[in-house]
Amino acid sequence: MPTDTTPPGGITPEQARTALAEAEEVRTSTTALSATPWPAWFAVCLTLYSAALPIAYGGVMADEDWLLPRPAWIGVLLLMVLLFTGLFAVAARNWRHRTGVALRLDVLPKRATVPLFIGLPAILIGSAVAFRTTGWPGWLVGAALLAGATSIGFHLAFVRLHRKSA
Amino acid sequence: MTAKSRGEDVMAGFDGIVHAPNRLRICALLDTAGEAEFGAVQEQLGVSASVLSKHVTVLMDAGYVAQRKAVRATRQRVWLRMTSEGVAAYRGHLAALRAIVGP
Repeated sequence: MPTDTTPPGGITPEQARTALAEAEEVRTSTTALSATPWPAWFAVCLTLYSAALPIAYGGVMADEDWLLPRPAWIGVLLLMVLLFTGLFAVAARNWRHRTGVALRLDVLPKRATVPLFIGLPAILIGSAVAFRTTGWPGWLVGAALLAGATSIGFHLAFVRLHRKSA
Repeated sequence: MTAKSRGEDVMAGFDGIVHAPNRLRICALLDTAGEAEFGAVQEQLGVSASVLSKHVTVLMDAGYVAQRKAVRATRQRVWLRMTSEGVAAYRGHLAALRAIVGP
């Protein structure tokens, strides 16, 4: 980088460094605020929903009736999605009011979120297809455990990030 | 492009409106948060409502910040966010500051 360009406004390197440090400090504290974890009640709902989704989807996709008739599984799945959407709306509104900042999905690093957004749908569909092909419900149970564990893991990641940055 | 002209390009990003300390901090907060409520900005930055209001007005007049009003529990809340011009100005300003600091 050249050094023979006159700094605008007569800003010295030291002043520029101070300004950058102030901006970084605000960025860190704001990141902590944006990483405020969900309240416990919604973290539990999210984990239960994540774990139940592969089971219900597997029931819908089953080659023949499994535990419940297919229309019942469709009803369960729709009810779950509607209930979760409603709870999410309430939790998101309360979260925004409590923190005073927008809800963002890009607070965690991309190396964590990209595999999540690709991996979870793949697990959901993959387990249902595997169950439909083999008839072995272990695929669905495994996917449910994995999805539930992922939900807990992400909640703990937010808790840690929030504490670390605060 | 020579190193000198590259340096001049970066320096051109220096923005006197953004550079004022409180405005730089407001921009840093809004760039990170996406959107923030006036009271939350005030609390995070530790400034009075009148000081924040004054700086926000300057940023809004420059087209760098936009506001949205929302009612919560019968009280009106103001939410602030950076415009795309504001984001570009803020990031250009940071690049200019880094260039001034040097390698």
